[in-house]
Amino acid sequence: MAKVFNWQLGREIDFPYEVERPEKQFAMIFDTNKCISCQTCTVACKTTWTQGRGQEYMFWNNVETKPYGYYPLGWDVNILDALGVQAMDGPVYQGKTLFDAAPTGEVILGYVPDDRDYAHPNIGEDDSTGTMPRGAYMTAPHMQWMFYLPRICNHCTYAACLGACPRQSIYKRREDGIVLLDQSRCRGYRECVKACPYKKVYFNTQTKVSEKCIGCYPAVEGGRQTQCTTSCIGKIRVQGFLGKPDKPDADNPLDYLVFIKKVALPLYPQFGLEPNTYYIPPVHVPPAYLRQMFGWGVERAIETYKRAHEDTKLLAAMTLFGATPEISHYFRVDGDSVVGYDAKQAEIVRVPLREPAVVRELYDIKHKVYRTNIT
Amino acid sequence: MTVRGLALVVVMLSAPPAPALAQPAITAVRVSGAGPIADPAARVWKDARPVKVAMLAQTVTLPNLAEPAVKELSVRAVHNGGWIAFLIEWTDATLSDRLLVDSFGDQVAVQLPVDVKAAPPSPMMGHVGGRVNIMQWRAALQHDIDKGAPSIKDLYPHAWTDVYPDEVLGATDARPYAGALGIENPVSRGVASPVLDQMAEGWGSMTVKPDQHALGKGEWKEGTWRVAITRPMVSDDVNAPRLVPATRTAVAFAVWEGGHREVGARKAWSPWIPLVIQAAPPKAGAR
Repeated sequence: MAKVFNWQLGREIDFPYEVERPEKQFAMIFDTNKCISCQTCTVACKTTWTQGRGQEYMFWNNVETKPYGYYPLGWDVNILDALGVQAMDGPVYQGKTLFDAAPTGEVILGYVPDDRDYAHPNIGEDDSTGTMPRGAYMTAPHMQWMFYLPRICNHCTYAACLGACPRQSIYKRREDGIVLLDQSRCRGYRECVKACPYKKVYFNTQTKVSEKCIGCYPAVEGGRQTQCTTSCIGKIRVQGFLGKPDKPDADNPLDYLVFIKKVALPLYPQFGLEPNTYYIPPVHVPPAYLRQMFGWGVERAIETYKRAHEDTKLLAAMTLFGATPEISHYFRVDGDSVVGYDAKQAEIVRVPLREPAVVRELYDIKHKVYRTNIT
Repeated sequence: MTVRGLALVVVMLSAPPAPALAQPAITAVRVSGAGPIADPAARVWKDARPVKVAMLAQTVTLPNLAEPAVKELSVRAVHNGGWIAFLIEWTDATLSDRLLVDSFGDQVAVQLPVDVKAAPPSPMMGHVGGRVNIMQWRAALQHDIDKGAPSIKDLYPHAWTDVYPDEVLGATDARPYAGALGIENPVSRGVASPVLDQMAEGWGSMTVKPDQHALGKGEWKEGTWRVAITRPMVSDDVNAPRLVPATRTAVAFAVWEGGHREVGARKAWSPWIPLVIQAAPPKAGAR
């Protein structure tokens, strides 16, 4: 095992290969507070990439309801249970990663899901933690709660699928950090399916090999965000690139939100893979649950998010979500607007930070009626 | 260097690639006839003495299984001057020829050094510069040949799909939706033979050769697999051995019990075993 630095855990971890960080890292940020689980992203991905035979059950993108939704069934609670309770206090993670916890004869702790675990993609949908007792009133965090968790492949810096493949059929692209599975090299051993704790590698029974999210690389190479991002009607996502964690660029919206403001957090960082999709945690969910899912920065992220209206630059970065199909490599505040720029610093989008609002008179003199909606 | 690469070096230094002495040699008996010997029920097998081959757990590289299911193979070898063939039999209570995410297939492989004149390379799939020819029979491929590849409806009778790209698009346009089949990954496509003719130079380097010469057939009956694997003794393939009667080389085997979730490196293997290729009978009238 090689020693590599995992910035999310604040320490070195063991990984099967010596890894050099890519020139830039494909990354995505989800604002869970805005997701309504309409699954438009799921359908956009499905119709683009996984319509073929043997891909019926594949959801390279899915949205599940937490805490009782999972695809495949129990993916996160299964591996959390196998890993066991770990100390999760920052700034340096003291617990075991999945590589640390590898059983004898294995590269990493993992499991192959049962075939039937894929039979219920919508299980737990909209289920809350419980019913509201008589006399209940709104508190924060909510006494009963649920939230939606959109998921794609995390294009991990230290990808378990890549580390576990005995044939090196999975590779991480130097130019953008996208993790790809070579369809001509795979022999269907399913070591990647077993190793990926997020269960985002799928076995195709018709081709006898495995497949995974390709980060919409043809779009990304052309400067466009992924299908799941551009189709999002709630504008909850932004996709772009992260720079180096030790040299964050305050003009890069993803660097700013992840490295500098730390308002968007990785999914199950304790697994040790340095996943590269990031989540603005839901503000109404008890932090104890969220800490296990997103790490010890949850309370601070929620506080930062709640005060975003006071922080123009933070608001500006978040206003870029869903604002353009193109990838914003840079951004800056220009008066009352945020401007997004492509890789060559050319302006690609300009969005007002505050939506223009018109307030009409409550009483419509012409029609002699009171208006029910005046904004 | 990767961990696996380092482990391979360790193996190379610690395990000289010499044939195992304790294991009796396998003699490929000269039989009459011509052409491939791909039928496990052929009469020619009666001419060959079965040799018991003890199978070991692959525990040198990751991942592995400490206790693979198959402990012993029974192997017979014959040749007819043009083709060499192996009949491999082993006990397997479960027929595993269906691939699902959690279902793995039975497999068996025969390994020969490509350079029959040199000392055999690492018995564990060769090493860089020491190529091996690995002929791997797969129960799932046998199923496809005997009964047709299972469709989604075969695997999941209640599945429903409105339309597939290949139903509405031309073959070329539908190809990108066919995954590994669309780019003709040899482990995906329906092939004429259930045996993949491959070469390797160490772990992780297994490559299905462009020209396929290996043939075979497997039959599972009453808890026993009988698999015949055959190949031409001489071909124009530079990654295949040139097998000549009245010479010796080595042979090794690997076996996977799909019902025990054995796949890839999770397997049982044998060291090199001496392989004697019996001389051709003297021609009539020769002295």
